[in-house]
Amino acid sequence: MTKNKPKAEGQRDEAEGQDGGWGWVLVGALFVSTSLVFGLMRSLGIFFVEFVQYFEESAQAISWISSTGLAAQQFFSPLGAALCNAYDARVVVMTGGCLAGLGLILASQATCLVHLYLTMGVISGLGWGLVFTPMVATVMANFTRRRALALGLGFSSIGLSSFAFNPLFQLLVEVFAWRGALLILGGLSLNIVPCGALIRPKRRSKSPEKINSESKPRASILHRVSSHLELSLLFERPYITYTLAVTLLNVGYFVPYFHLVAHSRQAGFSEYQAAFVMSAAGATDILGRVASGWFSDLGHFRLLHLLSIWTTLAGVFIMLLPVSSLSGSYPALMVISLLYGFCSGALTSLVFAVVPMIVGVARVMGALGLLQLIESGAGLLGAPLSGFLKDVTGNYIASFMVAGSFLILGTLTMATLPHYFSCKDPPPPQRPSPEDKDKSLQSEVEPSVTERSVI
Amino acid sequence: MNLLWAVGALLLSCWQASASTGPKIITDPPEVSNQTSAVLSCNLTESNLPIKGSHWVYNGKIIEDSKSTDASPSTVLRLEKITHSSGGKYECVFETEPEVKGTIEVKTLPHVGAYKHSEHGNEKDKGVMVCVSHGYPLPTDWTWFKEEDGTQKPFINGTTTKFEIKSTPNKTTLTINELSMEEDIGDYTCSGTNELGTSSDKIHLRVRSRLAALWPFLGIVAEVIILVTIIFIYEKRRKPDEINDGRAIPMQITKTRM
Repeated sequence: MTKNKPKAEGQRDEAEGQDGGWGWVLVGALFVSTSLVFGLMRSLGIFFVEFVQYFEESAQAISWISSTGLAAQQFFSPLGAALCNAYDARVVVMTGGCLAGLGLILASQATCLVHLYLTMGVISGLGWGLVFTPMVATVMANFTRRRALALGLGFSSIGLSSFAFNPLFQLLVEVFAWRGALLILGGLSLNIVPCGALIRPKRRSKSPEKINSESKPRASILHRVSSHLELSLLFERPYITYTLAVTLLNVGYFVPYFHLVAHSRQAGFSEYQAAFVMSAAGATDILGRVASGWFSDLGHFRLLHLLSIWTTLAGVFIMLLPVSSLSGSYPALMVISLLYGFCSGALTSLVFAVVPMIVGVARVMGALGLLQLIESGAGLLGAPLSGFLKDVTGNYIASFMVAGSFLILGTLTMATLPHYFSCKDPPPPQRPSPEDKDKSLQSEVEPSVTERSVI
Repeated sequence: MNLLWAVGALLLSCWQASASTGPKIITDPPEVSNQTSAVLSCNLTESNLPIKGSHWVYNGKIIEDSKSTDASPSTVLRLEKITHSSGGKYECVFETEPEVKGTIEVKTLPHVGAYKHSEHGNEKDKGVMVCVSHGYPLPTDWTWFKEEDGTQKPFINGTTTKFEIKSTPNKTTLTINELSMEEDIGDYTCSGTNELGTSSDKIHLRVRSRLAALWPFLGIVAEVIILVTIIFIYEKRRKPDEINDGRAIPMQITKTRM
């Protein structure tokens, strides 16, 4: 693992991260931490039944737990990004891991539903928020040509882990009861801390800026905070458009995960058949992530175009899901679910990989943070909306139709990005002028030094 | 005087006869209890109303196959296999003006099933066991037993605060508070009784000690600490090398200074 390359590498232009070496170790860290964040979140459904029975609350009240967790993760993402920009990604991720574990450990002692909202929802969600965005941004900064593949591999963990975690959690709950299971999960979540430790600590690359800001009389806390959060991005049309597209995508994206099993059961299939459909979709999800990552990196098509294709297909397949299950045919349901799984995995690898194309590598950390925050509204909206549609219409057809149409709306929004229809990527935008002014004050001038390294 | 009585009696019998000329349905059998199959038949008598057809209704819903446009005053419904799900109220309906109905009740033994055959609970926590029933008529009585030394020991609601039984006709719940590992592990039987008989189901309760999950947890925490220590030690070892290494990621400043 020691990649002590000769000094020649030092001269290599590091405008963007070079592929290989420690980068792949970080991909492994991303793999583990993502599985412990999202894979875990997705398998919390096992506890759903236990909570309903133990706390004697309605299904809706219980489902708010995971909604809160997801929303907290996305809401605190900009905070995580800002802290990484200000301090060190390593510390932030390790803290996030501790918080995530702590939330679950405290949840195991919960005596009422509110406790669960606060612990599993807020505390763990905060922890997850401090973990995910920094890890993703770190990996992206370490790769250029193989970025989509690296992300695809990293995110493939979500599918694999929800595949593995579902039966594992079921076993834990059976053997240890839900309290014991949550305690053990808290311990498992602490494994995020070593993943964070693998991030190489930043070598004070922000210090020139700090020196400069001290010399400028007007540098205020507000300015620094806003630059850490990359709030200037909110005023750029491409970024806003893309964020809107991803938000729309998110409204529909999670719906099948919440409702596919229930819908299959309602269509008349047995518990095991329904669960197996989910597992199968999860398997093709993994495949889709890796395959799409690898394929995108071949460079034949623009990432943005590929993303649009996968999103549209996923939307179409979501809409076909209720149609296939209503025909009563299990093979039809299976096939559509497999296709849906593949497309939804494929689009996931690309959603983040496109961001550097739009905002430039330097601002990726903040961009991701803000993106997660804005799309959090969508996640909060999606599941209750489809639940509401189900309550009103009595079945899941309307929910799936609406979910699929949101994905297609997302694609249409993406089509309004500037230079969408050109075949080559436009050059990524450089950072606006204040930085250039700073640069001119320093003696060392690099042409592409807009890349304040993300780590 | 005698003549007056005779006339009165004659008038009374005539009136009675005319009162009973309303349409009447003879059902056969009047009730089905505990049979594996049955043939339900209705005969419409004492009615000169025109019959447009007939059909059967089960628990309020029309049985599609039983619709007939026959003007015959008798109709028959065959129940090939009677299980707990086919118990209920069957009505034969003759489409006349107004409609005439007869009812035959099909009664079966209750079907009692447990939600989960293996329940678990934490020590000092509460354990909940649930049984549901389907069939007609629904059980009127629910009892819970615990198997101890080969015999069934019944629970009587209200004697202690440790147990609570909540029952509705189609569901019964036994809640045990303050589970204890020595006393409460074992097999529990719920049994539901209706007018035809009783049926029951068994649930196995497991009680886990509160600390059971602690050992795996501590093991995982230890593993995490070891991993983090290894990573930091490894990095300290490599640090002297890295300052000279032109590695791109952290080396912005060093590189530009070179």
